[in-house]
Amino acid sequence: MNKVFRDTYYLFIRGFKQSLRPYIALMPEFAVPIFFFVVNSAGFQRVSDLAEFKNYAGNYLEFYAPVALLMAIFFSTGSAGIEVVTDIANGYMDRLFVSPVHRISIVLGKLLATGARSMIQAAIMLAFVMLIGAPFEAGLLGVPILLALAFIFGMAWSGIGLTLAFLTKNPRIVQSSFVFFIPFSFITTSQLPLPLLSGWYKAAVMINPVTYVLEGMRALMLNGVGPETVGTIAVGFLAAALFGLVTLGAALFAFRRLSA
Amino acid sequence: MNEAIRVEALTKKFGTTTAVDGVSFNVPKGEFFGFLGPNGAGKTTTMRMLATLLRPTSGQAWVNGFEISQNPDGVRRSIGFAMQAVTLDPLATAWENLLLLGVLYGLSRKEAHQRGSELLELMQLTKVADSWIKNYSGGMRRRLDLAAVLMHKPEVLFLDEPTEGLDPAGRRVIWEYLKKLNGSGATIFLTTHYMDEADYLCERISIIDKGKLVVTDSPKRLKEKVGGTLDDVFIHYTGHRIQDEGLNPKAADPYTQMNT
Ligand SMILES: Nc1ncnc2c1ncn2[C@@H]1O[C@H](COP(=O)(O)OP(=O)(O)O)[C@@H](O)[C@H]1O
Ligand SMILES: [Mg+2]
Repeated sequence: MNKVFRDTYYLFIRGFKQSLRPYIALMPEFAVPIFFFVVNSAGFQRVSDLAEFKNYAGNYLEFYAPVALLMAIFFSTGSAGIEVVTDIANGYMDRLFVSPVHRISIVLGKLLATGARSMIQAAIMLAFVMLIGAPFEAGLLGVPILLALAFIFGMAWSGIGLTLAFLTKNPRIVQSSFVFFIPFSFITTSQLPLPLLSGWYKAAVMINPVTYVLEGMRALMLNGVGPETVGTIAVGFLAAALFGLVTLGAALFAFRRLSA
Repeated sequence: MNEAIRVEALTKKFGTTTAVDGVSFNVPKGEFFGFLGPNGAGKTTTMRMLATLLRPTSGQAWVNGFEISQNPDGVRRSIGFAMQAVTLDPLATAWENLLLLGVLYGLSRKEAHQRGSELLELMQLTKVADSWIKNYSGGMRRRLDLAAVLMHKPEVLFLDEPTEGLDPAGRRVIWEYLKKLNGSGATIFLTTHYMDEADYLCERISIIDKGKLVVTDSPKRLKEKVGGTLDDVFIHYTGHRIQDEGLNPKAADPYTQMNT
């Protein structure tokens, strides 16, 4: 057990460094969320005149700020699969497999590194959106709660890329798996609050677990922690955990096949 | 058990190709053993089975007394495996590569540091030890790969064409070091296409062709038997024609190389 912890720790450090390199590759991970944030909060500004909207946020920028965090998490953790497929392709995974490292440490180290990356990315985005004028009502104590949610959801999201990496070992397939972010992030309450949605779209939004993760973040940012929001925040954690159960379950299953 | 490696009727089939076909041989502890054969003969496949990276279709093998399927961890702790292609983390420095492997093999950080600096010195990589591997030349990578495999002072060393791509001086350094290692008790299992290398280093060689062992003896006795150089011996047993090799339907996507 001790060895599993030790190996996991060292592979976590390695995975974390790997996820930051080459440094230049970090640019798009910030650029895309910032682009959406700046463009949408300018473009949709008049939406905040709608009566139904007024219960949710003072202006569209505030409403959209949590989406920028969510996107930062999508983009930073989506690369976990690419890192793993690169390890498989250049033989590094075999180097680990011939060593006496416990197999589970290889996956755990990667996941923890991904979670840590996700927290850092979310923290940087939070600082950025606050600089532009977004609120954070949950205050200083709310920050660890938000980061914990980013940690869990980051790992959960990385499960998609990891599963594809272990199953296909194909860099191009894994690279293009980022497209999953489109339905999962757009079919949510990212653009409009739930009462303004309708039809099949609304139904789809309601079964998308990411909706609840987003609403949890939004509650922390716009309303803070209190009796009215604690439920929404808890549901956010639950949705992230359930989503992770599915994606990481699949990833572990695929990994066992690869390492058998 | 006095055998470092004992192989009994080891077989590996990939679909309809039989890559290794009922191979049996023994390598006593402390021997420098050469495993020669044309491209596609089954050398790498045999080594990957012995190193616990591939499951045999049938047959058994023991490495350092551990059965490869029943006690793979025992095998992994005993061996170092320099694979045919270099397997390093390209986005890490030489130091990072060596230290991580050291600690994963159970060295303390201090021990790993000490061992790492010895090996960097030996491979004449001390000056570039803090640069990322992706900037290394082929020869530098090959030398560092060998250093990585030697970090934990393995009892049994598997070397799959270890001097491929090295210049004559580089080969000489490696040869002398391998001799020294072997002199201090390590068993070495080497494949190579350089007959001068096999002749100089190996006490005994086996020739494998189309998955089957053809002959095993000392280079001296083989040369006497055939009446010529080791090149003549090789051609005598495996033929003049370039052989048909099977294809690998699972080969990596060419885009795999994009990140390195
Ligand atoms: N993963 C694989 N899938 C299918 N065929 C393979 C695979 N690996 C090796 N082979 C085939 O098995 C045979 C032996 O290959 P290999 O052991 O690499 O030979 P060598 O190392 O002696 O050149 C070849 O015909 C090769 O194409
Ligand atoms: Mg080979």
